[in-house]
Amino acid sequence: MAALIEVKGLTKKYRVGQEIITALDHVDLAIEEGELLCILGASGSGKSTLLHVMSGLERPTRGEVWIKGVSLLKMKERKMAGFRRKYMGFIFQSYNLIPTLNALENVTLPLLFDGVSKKTREQRAYELLVQLGLKKRLKNKPTELSGGQQQRVSIARALVNNPKIIFADEPTGNLDSKTTEEIMTLLREKVKKFGVTLIMVTHDLEIAKFADRVVNMRDGKIIQISHHQHNQQVSLEGKFAADGSS
Amino acid sequence: MKKFDLIGLARRNLWRRKLRTILTVLGVLIGTTSIVVMLSLGIGLNNSQRKMMESWGSLTTIRIMQGMVFDDEGNPQGQSKSLNDDAVAEIRGIEGVLAVCPAYELYGDVRLGRKSGGLSLIGIEPELMGQLEFAPSHGRLLEKGDRNAVVVGSKVIEGLFDEAERRQMERGTFDFESGEEKDPGEMMNQRLALTVENMGGKRKTYNFMVVGVLAGDDIEYSYQALAPIEEVKRIRHFSLTGQSGGGGAFSPNVMDLGGAKAGRGRREDQTNDYSYILVKTAGVEHTPAVSQQIKDLGYDSWSVADALEGIEKSSRTVQAVLGGIGAVTLLVAALGITNTMIMSIYERTKEIGIMKVIGATFSDIYLLFLVEAGLIGFVGGLFGIGFSYGISKIINYFTGSFFGMFWGDESMGISLIPPWLALFALLFAVLVGLLAGLYPAYRAVRLSPISAIRNE
Ligand SMILES: Nc1ncnc2c1ncn2[C@@H]1O[C@H](COP(=O)(O)OP(=O)(O)OP(=O)(O)O)[C@@H](O)[C@H]1O
Ligand SMILES: [Mg+2]
Repeated sequence: MAALIEVKGLTKKYRVGQEIITALDHVDLAIEEGELLCILGASGSGKSTLLHVMSGLERPTRGEVWIKGVSLLKMKERKMAGFRRKYMGFIFQSYNLIPTLNALENVTLPLLFDGVSKKTREQRAYELLVQLGLKKRLKNKPTELSGGQQQRVSIARALVNNPKIIFADEPTGNLDSKTTEEIMTLLREKVKKFGVTLIMVTHDLEIAKFADRVVNMRDGKIIQISHHQHNQQVSLEGKFAADGSS
Repeated sequence: MKKFDLIGLARRNLWRRKLRTILTVLGVLIGTTSIVVMLSLGIGLNNSQRKMMESWGSLTTIRIMQGMVFDDEGNPQGQSKSLNDDAVAEIRGIEGVLAVCPAYELYGDVRLGRKSGGLSLIGIEPELMGQLEFAPSHGRLLEKGDRNAVVVGSKVIEGLFDEAERRQMERGTFDFESGEEKDPGEMMNQRLALTVENMGGKRKTYNFMVVGVLAGDDIEYSYQALAPIEEVKRIRHFSLTGQSGGGGAFSPNVMDLGGAKAGRGRREDQTNDYSYILVKTAGVEHTPAVSQQIKDLGYDSWSVADALEGIEKSSRTVQAVLGGIGAVTLLVAALGITNTMIMSIYERTKEIGIMKVIGATFSDIYLLFLVEAGLIGFVGGLFGIGFSYGISKIINYFTGSFFGMFWGDESMGISLIPPWLALFALLFAVLVGLLAGLYPAYRAVRLSPISAIRNE
């Protein structure tokens, strides 16, 4: 069976004045359906860039990305937006909720863009928020919620469209260790329950323990991939073998 | 995204910066109001001018007089051609002419019942009267075969007085203002006796029967009487014959209006020339062209439509200037909208990025900003129209008494907002809003979602 996401020779270069920065340097990666993948690495190693290119938010300089065998590079903007709306969810470190909308409205927004009726989308958002323990916070604006609560709202927003993949960029980066634990447990439980593939960026080793597989990055390259459950270290050379095995 | 949700989202976005939105809307409101009020003044002015002109006489009648002919610059081109039967035939040949009616005019003393006074009597072809837009309020118009019939203007009676009234006038106690309306119908079926004195000092009285009273009170005919031309020609012939006895060449109470204008030298051979010729055109739209052709033929023509054309031209200019002032105000308002929307993009950079990330298409974002700008235009336009009606009422209230006094019509305001103007203003305000939103919407679309959401 082909991987859900396949990345081949992915290179992303930025030009800042005269200087050229290589954020991604020939990255190859295959992610299976239902997997919880963690991308680990120091600041500036290209984790976020990889996430953006894989989710079609940014175009690579070179290389290819396939999702379910569909090439992202050949996709037009309109189709890409539709693709994100139907199959992807996003969670960010700074929550990125819309400040003027309350919790419920923030969660319904992806469905609004998808043309779902008000009743259906509010029903769906309500269910998710209740499951995430925010029953009493439905009408609160983001500024009236704690960081942990805001991140739970954004998890609900990422889940609301029944996505295949959730991209999370340091989802617990702004939270204390207790809340981090809480959020990660919740997130893992949800993605496993709904069979969602979660690709999560972090530089916190503690968080990596929630993952099925950990990808280590440095200077835009993948230097190591490890299967967390078996605590099995796979060298870069054996990467393709490891990809096939999970 | 559904249209309903799009508008809901736009409305929300606008409403969260209440003060700024209200101020921007206020700009559009003022712009719309100034356009509507300015144009309403032009329209009201045009309308009252038109009504005034219509009270001067028919818009499809041209009057050809004897006198000097002028070119377009107003330089005299010499004496106009004689108004005789040749002229009538020539004018009848012009396209757009429905009827040509030569007329004699003379002035004499008349008695009508117990009242007497001076009256100007016009002789026209009786059978043409029906075609010349005359309408009777009592009785009938002149008809073919009439000889001693006369149709009088509705105000003729106001120029005639009985003995008692004359004595009051002499004593200075006659009350001209006393609004005691005289009923024009009183004149019906009365004997109208016209007395003229000829050059030799001989007096002769001609009797007519009033068969009709003209409707309306335009200045042209309401103080005159109309009789069959053959009869008037006879009276005129008498008044111009005889020895020029006693003192002057003219009898003091018979004035040959046409001849007097023509000058003395050619007087003798012009005694049969008409005083003037009335031309009826096929419609208002033909009047200016027919009038011009008549002038080109060497006659001195005049019509209300000529004057109307000039006035309409100048009032179009006035309207353009007034509308222009309003348009400038709305343009400033448009800049306000653009400014507001661009500021809003700066504030909402991150938000726009998030919306793109979670699946909003370019066209969703584009439409959202366009709808927000259009909504400002719509609301501003709507309130602007309401405001305009208020201002228009106030203007009419303060100028109403003045104009009412002038045209005798209190209801006729100087500011007039027809429904089409209100609709046009609303559409225009929305259009201005949309145009003002084009650039901001384009900017919002171009915004990169990545730079918007990249952490700090
Ligand atoms: N738009 C851009 N223009 C120029 N350089 C960029 C841009 N985006 C990223 N970079 C550079 O690319 C490299 C990788 O950035 P990236 O954000 O992927 O790192 P990261 O691993 O997510 O770091 P962090 O853990 O701090 O979020 C960095 O050197 C960064 O400066
Ligand atoms: Mg990052």
